[in-house]
Amino acid sequence: MTMTATQRTSAAFIVASVLISAGLTLEAQRGGRQRGDGGSANVRLESNLPYDGRFTFVRVRYQNFISRGNQWSHDYPYGERHFMKILNAVSLVKPYTDASNVHTFDDPEIMKFPIAYMAEPGYWAMTEAELAGLTAYVKKGGFLIFDDFRNQQWDEWANLEMQMARVYPEARWIDLTAEHPIFHSFYDIDDLNVIPQYFQNYGIPKFRGLFEDNDPTKRMIAIANFDTDISEFWEFADSGVRAVGETNEAFKLGVNYIIYGLTH
Amino acid sequence: MDAVFQFLFKYQPLVFEQGDFVWGSSRWMSASVLVATGIAAYALFTYRGIRGHSPRDRAIVITLRLAALAVLAICLFRPMLVLKVAVPQQNFVGVLLDDSRSMQVSDLEGLPRGNYVRDNFASADGQLLKQLSEKFVVRTYKFSSVAQRLNEGDGLSFTGTGTRLGDALGRARDELAGLPLSGLIVVTDGADTSEGALEASLASLKAESIPVFPVGVGDEAMTRDIQVSRVETPRTALKGTSLVVDVVVTQTGFAGQVFPLVVESEGRVVDTQDITMPPDGEASTIKVRFKVDEGGPRRFKFRVPEQPGEQVAQNNTREHLIDVLDRRVKLLYLEGEPRFEAKFIKQALESDPNIQVVLLQRTAAATPSAPPKFLRLGIDTPDELIEGFPITEEALFSYSGLILGSVEASAFTAEQLRMIAEFVGRRGGGLLTLGGARSFAEGGWGGTPVAQVLPITLEAGANAKAGSYFSEVSIRPARAGTAHPIVQLAATEAASLEAWRKLPPLTSVNLIQSVKPGASTLLTGEDSKGTDLVILAAQRYGRGKAMSFPVQDSWLWRMHASMPITDMTHHNFWQRLLRWVVDGVPGRVEVTMSPDRVEPREPVTLTAQVADKTFQDVSDARVLAIVRSPTGVVTEVPLSWTVKRDGEYSAVFAPDEEGPYEVRVTATRDGETLGTSVGHLRAAPSDREYFDPFLRSSLLERLADETGGQYFRSSDTSKLAEALTLSGRGVTVVEEKDLWDMPALFLLLVAFAGGEWIYRRARGLA
Repeated sequence: MTMTATQRTSAAFIVASVLISAGLTLEAQRGGRQRGDGGSANVRLESNLPYDGRFTFVRVRYQNFISRGNQWSHDYPYGERHFMKILNAVSLVKPYTDASNVHTFDDPEIMKFPIAYMAEPGYWAMTEAELAGLTAYVKKGGFLIFDDFRNQQWDEWANLEMQMARVYPEARWIDLTAEHPIFHSFYDIDDLNVIPQYFQNYGIPKFRGLFEDNDPTKRMIAIANFDTDISEFWEFADSGVRAVGETNEAFKLGVNYIIYGLTH
Repeated sequence: MDAVFQFLFKYQPLVFEQGDFVWGSSRWMSASVLVATGIAAYALFTYRGIRGHSPRDRAIVITLRLAALAVLAICLFRPMLVLKVAVPQQNFVGVLLDDSRSMQVSDLEGLPRGNYVRDNFASADGQLLKQLSEKFVVRTYKFSSVAQRLNEGDGLSFTGTGTRLGDALGRARDELAGLPLSGLIVVTDGADTSEGALEASLASLKAESIPVFPVGVGDEAMTRDIQVSRVETPRTALKGTSLVVDVVVTQTGFAGQVFPLVVESEGRVVDTQDITMPPDGEASTIKVRFKVDEGGPRRFKFRVPEQPGEQVAQNNTREHLIDVLDRRVKLLYLEGEPRFEAKFIKQALESDPNIQVVLLQRTAAATPSAPPKFLRLGIDTPDELIEGFPITEEALFSYSGLILGSVEASAFTAEQLRMIAEFVGRRGGGLLTLGGARSFAEGGWGGTPVAQVLPITLEAGANAKAGSYFSEVSIRPARAGTAHPIVQLAATEAASLEAWRKLPPLTSVNLIQSVKPGASTLLTGEDSKGTDLVILAAQRYGRGKAMSFPVQDSWLWRMHASMPITDMTHHNFWQRLLRWVVDGVPGRVEVTMSPDRVEPREPVTLTAQVADKTFQDVSDARVLAIVRSPTGVVTEVPLSWTVKRDGEYSAVFAPDEEGPYEVRVTATRDGETLGTSVGHLRAAPSDREYFDPFLRSSLLERLADETGGQYFRSSDTSKLAEALTLSGRGVTVVEEKDLWDMPALFLLLVAFAGGEWIYRRARGLA
């Protein structure tokens, strides 16, 4: 039978998810593996891969401006591992699937990975050195994905805005609609309302973008998934905590972001 | 010298050259002399009775006596020179005076060459003219590009813009045909500017036995002059391109000094470079760099400012026309896997108004039930490339350049691979292949039609396993590439090399070590094991060109931590590289003009190459040129198929006015327009005369030798009239000149006889 592209890839998702779930569930049964759940003092960090041209997922590490948690490491490492496995299965990007990197903005190595992901930017604080690194990173062509934040105890959105304003004082975050090319770079996501919401009571997730010269027709420098936590779906893809359909949507977003970041 | 010669031998050397040598005695006289000489000789030999003679003494004495006897015998045989001497006033002489601009050069003791000509040949008081008029009827002509009679009251202006010696001689010959002509005098510096050799004129002069007597005016070398001898510029260039142009400068009298070489366009200076003058008489080549930022036909002047004391100022400037094309050239970039290289290349070209990169990005592989997934960025219409990589020649050939990223050969059908090769060979497009996990041998490209086109060698059998090679590569310009504009990172070569040293290393997953013969290597690299790699290579193939750049991440030149935010290296490199890839890629109709700078009324050949949408040559099109003159007068010039080459049409056109002309050529077939091409040319008086205006002695000597004449320098023309008289042409009378009474012979006789007597005396013989 012939299938449309969408059907085909959805099917691929389901198959991949099931396989991965099966494999990873077995691993998880071995017990005692730590999940990056925030709040705990220790994160078992694996060593970074050296650059060799192959796509590597990069998560940004930062100091909190308040409390002494490891918010940056939420969903590390399983979020990115599962995500990379999916990316590898559905697209021609051949990323490292068993390893990923963690860099700070003042680490010169981060410049070799022009797509980076940051969790919980509501807690994000930057030193001057990190600011210099971030400025160079985005102005030369880097792309940032901000994820997993909501106005829980304070205005976390304002914190993100403030930090990015240190790089681009004139910047305005623009609400994205489903028409934007990033939602069609690989999968066609025609309705942002289907995007899953991890947090209860926060309504529909909001997607906002930061553009070059504040012009939405130009390059997007950063995308923020506000009032949601996409990587949470990635992390628990093997556990059945979240519905397969919703998990699929989370993976689709991720794949779209990566493909967009590699072509724009 | 001549006076001594004349004293000894009675006549001038010229007489000996022109005359025929004969023995003048009658037969009876000759016989008697022979007999008498024989008897005398015998008598000498038997004269042996002198005692005390050693054999050596005897030999010497006998030799001396025999020598004296021989001289006597020669005299008795009556040697003579027989000459044909022109009868005064019965013969014509043509005098041709060079009236061209090169005669303005002041190298005759600081005075212009023209002064000599006027004083001696054009005014009634001219010494030489008077001498000639005594013996001949003189007909005077002036010549430069054309020759004409010089009548009383006519002036010589020395403003002719060309020198055609052959034509001038031919004209004089024709006018004086049938008249008794002793010879033609040509007063010139020999700086012939006609394109053909003098062979034809020489042949006809020889056939009619007309001797030419050139009088060379001027110095054989300049003593103080700077000249911009040659400039090589491209005919067209895309707007925004940085050009590297070779300028050849020669000089005498300023060796070792430093002067600026100025490049100007429409009155604005676009580059200045200080150059050190080469040794006297030698040439020095300088590379000047400038960007062509304004569209349209642009005149560029290459000039060394006139220095004090220069003999010729007009040869310090050369002017060239470059047609700067302000159009958007389209390239198709196929990437086989999503990777950062594509993003950053696109980013580098975003601000370039003249280059459009259409990115066809494959994001997912084909499955048994679905075709591969593509992202199409930068397309003009919604259905452009909707089926993926073009499957028809017409679609593919609509692009001027093709970039293949990391994509395996098996992603294409055999027909598509053939089309890619034809894209370069027949269409004349530019191909660029980039490094990556699916490129070159790693992508199975060895043995494909595309491998033939590439400048690097890919063995068919050695298709490597992907992932087997990876290395960091430090890159520097190759020796041949140091001056190439793509590789120029700074204004001077030294600064550019330093900039390359500071760039971060890139990485490669394709081990490419050799280029094909005929290909150039522009960049080389050294990997972590010290192996030399080819990093950027180029070659011409068919009508187009192909380049290979086997690195996978030139984007590091933008992102790397050591590169400042404001650094434009990556941006400039890609803009230059892609401009070079599409440079010279033809459209379906291409017009050229030869030459593109002429004098008014000089003919220009218009040539057009016409092809259809698949770039097959079309020989049955209707090709029309609309020529617009500087004052707006429009002329239609139809071009016709040359027959000798498919798709080639030509016509000849002579511009009447001075100034810039626009030539717009359109080709149509069956009512359908195949294409249009616009060219430009300029009609202006030529300044050829001022370049290399030194006296061409060897040419003039050859002219004299081959026609039986004689070459004179302007400094000494005392023997000119006599040479004409003795040329032996025209109405002549035979003269015999005796040689027996030459003082030389008498002196010889005295020497031998006296010598013998002195020797005998000295040796104590009787």
